Order: sequence, then C-alpha cells, then structure tokens
Amino acid sequence: MKYTFNFPDIGEGLEEGTIAEWYVEPGSKVETGDPLVKMETDKVVTDIPSPRNGTIVERFGEEGEVVEVGNPLVIIQLEGEESSEEQQENFEVEEEGAGVVGTIEVASGNDVMPASNEGVAEATTTKPLPSKALATPVARALARDLGVDINQVAGSGNNGRVMKEDIIAFKNQNQQQPVASTPAQQQPVISNNYAFDETVEELPLTQIRKTIAKNMVYSKQNAAHMTLFDEAEVSELVKLRDKIKHRYAEKGVKISYLHFLLKAIALSLRHHPQLNAEMNLENNKMILKKYYHLGIAVDAPQGLVVPVLKHADKISLLDIAQQTNQLAEKARNSQLSMDDMKGGTFTITNFGSIGGRFAVPVINYPQAAILGAGKIFKKPVVKNDEVVAGTVMPLSISVDHRIVDGGEVTRFMNRVIEYMEDPYLLLLES
Amino acid sequence: MFDVYHPTKKELFQIMDNEGKVINKEWFPKIDDSTLLKAYKELVFARAADLMIVSYQRQGRIYTYPPGYGQEAVSEAVAVQMKKEDWVVPAFRELPLYLAKGASLKDVFKFYMGDEKGAGWSNAKNMLPISVPIATQLPHAVGLGYSLKYNKKDNVVYAFVGDGGTSTGDFHEAMNFAAVWKVPVVFIVQNNQFAISVPFETQTGTDTIAIKSVAYGMPGLRVDGNDFFAMYKAIEQASEHARSGKGAVLIEAVTYRRGAHTTSDDPYKYRTKEEEELWEKKDPVKRLKAYLITNKLWTEEEDDRHIKACKKEVDKLFIETEQELSYELDEVFDHLYSELPDDLEKQKARYKAFLEWKAKRK
Repeated sequence: MKYTFNFPDIGEGLEEGTIAEWYVEPGSKVETGDPLVKMETDKVVTDIPSPRNGTIVERFGEEGEVVEVGNPLVIIQLEGEESSEEQQENFEVEEEGAGVVGTIEVASGNDVMPASNEGVAEATTTKPLPSKALATPVARALARDLGVDINQVAGSGNNGRVMKEDIIAFKNQNQQQPVASTPAQQQPVISNNYAFDETVEELPLTQIRKTIAKNMVYSKQNAAHMTLFDEAEVSELVKLRDKIKHRYAEKGVKISYLHFLLKAIALSLRHHPQLNAEMNLENNKMILKKYYHLGIAVDAPQGLVVPVLKHADKISLLDIAQQTNQLAEKARNSQLSMDDMKGGTFTITNFGSIGGRFAVPVINYPQAAILGAGKIFKKPVVKNDEVVAGTVMPLSISVDHRIVDGGEVTRFMNRVIEYMEDPYLLLLES
Repeated sequence: MFDVYHPTKKELFQIMDNEGKVINKEWFPKIDDSTLLKAYKELVFARAADLMIVSYQRQGRIYTYPPGYGQEAVSEAVAVQMKKEDWVVPAFRELPLYLAKGASLKDVFKFYMGDEKGAGWSNAKNMLPISVPIATQLPHAVGLGYSLKYNKKDNVVYAFVGDGGTSTGDFHEAMNFAAVWKVPVVFIVQNNQFAISVPFETQTGTDTIAIKSVAYGMPGLRVDGNDFFAMYKAIEQASEHARSGKGAVLIEAVTYRRGAHTTSDDPYKYRTKEEEELWEKKDPVKRLKAYLITNKLWTEEEDDRHIKACKKEVDKLFIETEQELSYELDEVFDHLYSELPDDLEKQKARYKAFLEWKAKRK
C-alpha cells in the first residue's frame, strides 16, 4: 500500500512553505520520525519527519519551490505492504503525481503556459508522445529558456519523465539537423525581451512585487470585470471642507476629500449588499458581509499596499481621518502589520491624489468591487439650465459582474454621488 | 537550609557538576538506588515522549505542543517524592509529573489533539488540568492549600509556573495570600530563561526570582533545576516546611528550555546556537546518567535498550490514541456558557464548515 503524505499545517494557520532541502529521494528507506525535508514557513524553519515506515516512491517539488499546505510532499511505499501489482500501481501513482506537480506550478506562478513551439521543426516528432510531458518545473523552465517544446522531448526518467539532459540533448540534436523552415521560425526564442547589447538594470523580484503580480493576474482571470464611470459635483463638499478643516487641524488631523468619500462609501454599502459580497462557488453560496472594512490602496515606496480601515460605517469622520492618516503613514514607513491589511470587504484607490482622473481599477479579489477616486477639477456644468463653473470629482468603479448586476452598481454609484454632492447627509447619518 | 542558601546571598544551590560528579556532599539527599533508577527511567521516558510529540506535530498528527525538553528534572524531583494525596497544580511543562501522578500519556496526546477529555486525567487524583493561560493556576493552588489547612490535612500543593508567569498579577496575589495565610503550597518557578522570546533580564527588575520570596515573607531557594539531586533536596526541604504547618515556599528552578516555546515558535529568532550548546552541557538527563554510570548503577547498554523500549511504548500509545480519538465539535463550545454568545455561535458554524471542507479534501 502507498501512503501519500500531505504537507501539514505545522504552525497554527500556515498556508504554504518553501522547500529548503530534501533529505530523501525516490528509493530512500525511511522510518517514522526520520527527516524527509526541511521546510521554511512563516513561523518556523523545520524538518518534516516521516509519518510512516517505508520507501519513498515519489517526492514533489524542488528546493526553492513553494508547497501549499494540504498538497503532497512524498508518496511512501509502506513497509511490508508491497503490492504484487507493483507495476500497475506505480503507473497510477505517477499519473496522480503529474497532476500534483501541475498544481504546484499554478501556485508558484507561470509554468502552466505551454512552452513555445517556435524554433522546433514539426518533422522532428517521430513517435506519438503524451500531450503533457512529465517534468519538474526546473526542467520546464530550462525548456522554455532554450526554446524547446517539452512535450516533444522523449523523457529518459521514470515513466518517461523528461530530465534536464533530455532537453539539452534534444536542443543539440535539432541544431545539428538543419531543417527547411521560414526565417521567422528559425529565430531563436529568447526568454528575456531586451537587447543584449544595451544597458539594463536587473533587480530581484521582491516578495511584495511577486504578491502584487500574483493577485492582479488572479483577479483578472477570475473576476468578470465591469467598470462604470461618473462624476460628482462637489462644490458643496469643497465649501464644507474649507469650513471645517481648521477645526480638524486644531486637533492635529488633516482632513481630505478621501475621508468624506470613505464615509460615503461605507454608508452606501449598507444599502447595496452585493457590492460588499463575496462568491463561494465551491459551496454555491453568496456571502453578504454585514461589516464594512474598507481597503485603501496606498502608493508606498516599496509598491502597492492596501491597509484596511475597519468598521468605516460606524466611526466618525474624525476617526476616519485619523485612522486613515495613521494607516497611510505606517504604509509609507513599511510598518503595517498583517492585521492592518487583513479583512477588507471593499477597496478604494485614490489616484486623484496624484492627478489621475479615470481608470479601470483591478478588483481586490475576492471582493466584489473597487472604487477609484479621480482628481477634483473645475469644468463647466449645467445648473438650472445655465452653464456655470462646477467642481467635479471623477469616479470609476470596477465590479465583479458575476456578483454585482449593472443596475445595482449604477444605483450604488448614484447613492455615493448623492452623499458627495450633499455632504451634510454624511454628518447626519452614522 | 533556607538560611544557608538565603536568596539574598544570590547563590545557586547545586549538588553535582556538569559531569555528574558530586560537588556538595553535605546536602546530598538520602535516596535509595531503586528510587533513583526509577526517577531516571521516568525522565528518559518523558523525554522520549516529548521529542516524539514534536515529531508527530511536524507530521500533522497532533496540534500545537509546548515541549519540556531540557526541563524534565524539575518536575521529576516532585514526582518521586510526593505523597499520594498531595496536590499537583501544573503549568504545561511538567510531563514526568503528570505521568507519575497516574495520568496516561494518552491523556496528554488527547489534550493536544483537541479532545478536552484529556485534561480530565483519566486515572490521576488531586491534579488540576494543564493551564495554558499564564499563572492563572496559582490562586487556585493557594485556595487548595487553604482548604488543606482548614481541614487539617498534612498534604502539600505543588504549584508550577514559568519565569514569564512571575510577571503577572496572579503570581503576586497568590504569593501574597500564600505567605500571609501560611498555606502548605510549594511554588516551583521553572526559570527556563525565556518568556516565549522575552529574555529573563528584560521582564523583571530582580536578579533572581527566589529573591522575590523575601518581600512576600516566605522562604525561597534558587536551585540548579538541571541538577536532579539539588532539585530533590530542595523539594524535600520545602515539602517538610509546608507539611509541618510553617507555610509556603518559593523555589526558583534555574533551567533551560532546549526546545521551542511551542511548535509554532522558532527559537533561532531570539537565541544563539552557542547559548544552546552551553546549556546542552548542563542537560539534566545527561548529568544524572553520568552519575549513574560512574556509580555502576546503570550501563550504556541498558540505556540504549531503555530508550528503544520507551520509544516503542510511546509510539504504541500514540497510535492507539489516534484510533480511539473521538470527540464532537459541540464539546469544544459547550462547557462555558449555558447559552452560546453570538460570536461563539458564529465561530462554531465556521469551524464546522472548515471541518467539512477539510473532510472533502481528504
């Protein structure tokens, strides 16, 4: 019998770990308690021991790769329980394993895209090959760098696993056999799209940059983005703010238009639950959150961070201003804790503070919506059939159309605009 | 003895050195060979269990666990000499003592596998449950002591806490009442140098913990907690004092947590390998073993055999517990409120959903 050992949660709420070092390989004999692999996690760096006696059949992931909690680490052939149908079973396990490697690749980024076919002549295929080759992510990366379609390579490893040597041999073989092809096909594929003879600066990808990349792509691929633009005529708000900002300044608090907008959004969300919802397809459920934690996108020196203003509907404008300023300050000084950034139900991005007007913001998945505030500017507006100088704030809201209907987002936007145009309502309601 | 080693002298009470050689014959306790061997075997068993639990946790078979690795001699010194009706009030690093009191290792496994029934100690009388909140058990110990005094019983309460626990209000209140009421409580502070990651020097203004006893008005002793004989003698003297109606005693057992604070902690973030190596030389099991071998009471071969047998027994008990373990989700929530408050109701629903999700993933 075989035992699949999944990476356990060893630190009260861990989601993943990075493989630091393997101590075993297929064929290694292990006893319960013997170290299998050293894992680096958010909490600890520790050896993971074997839970069973037996022989390692398969291990998953290479050093430096991320394994999610609950995904397999190794498969162990249990001692004294070797099956007579070893061959058959082995094959099945490999199949299962291939899928698992795929999962890990998804988790670690970009390896699911098929390698390019360019530079490889069709004619070199001499026998039918499986549609997706068995290979480690390291081998896949090598194939991609060399411009080799890994699915064309005959593997020499276990069960046809494509090894790094196979890819290099394949590449060399193809270079030695000139084949008839168009010039375009002969162009080498370079993985890095920049000139080799010009100056470039290479920076390592920071963790925050990787996280941003992962989250952005995930959101774009999984949410059905739809964006609505509108403007709020905020002359009254400008007056109100001018009137009260000194009072706030006396308390040492700088009050900005963003703070009014946060309040307007929090109050509006109460009337439009779809905008503060989340979809759970696994359980066929729509989750309507009855609390309003507003994420605020901050343009910090190290990259985008989104601290969260908790219970924005329940606190006063003064508290909103104070807490928001504090969060922004912490963000700029890299002092945000995990707690500061957790639990948002809706996000606001304030590109207006830098001078932008409209945008198509990317939803902070799995939230349902994100609202972008543009720069307040003067423009002609019609009031009582007369063209007068108006002061407008452009607003852009992206929603996940799976969750929010077009009518609902429009009604939500109308309500936000109403609050912004008649800001005294903000002071009345809480 | 309390005068000779008065806390104001800041002396550490020791009987044997790091190599197991007796350096303080005057205070060497009267302990027969069979009791000594029994104590050593229990130490080794507790250590084997402790290390294996950490390994089980890393295998995903048990939840968060606070190891007692390196501190075993402190509670073992109580384990071998307490009387049957004496009370034990644990903190959470006294494994040898739970077992000596009659609890099964299975109780400990169950407790850390989420089955609260483990805290009920299936077969141990007069022992409170493991106390995860820090120092809240100490006022309970004083209450127990008061009842023993009131009922004119000649039993003693052994109450444990860590160095971090001495920085809490509960510690202060317990000490004060214990001293003024002269109750038969022996407080044993396992000073393992760190309150999670906070070093001793940065959490109290005193040089030692024993010195605090002077202010409260009870005898205090600063003992090498990794020296089994010193611990044995200190507990013997303190028990005698408490049992004879003279009141409480504070013992500071200077020791070192060789493992992590819990399995969720990474000690390398706040201490060095050099420091660990220094304390490895003072390890209590190593020292007692050296003494036993030098005095021809034990051999390396017997040691190997015993360690193997311990591991086998621990694994057997663990696998049995895994098979027997059964508790209902409701039990986790049911025993504090007659009507569950909204937030716990929500938590329960979420946990239920989590368990269903987890079951589906299997």
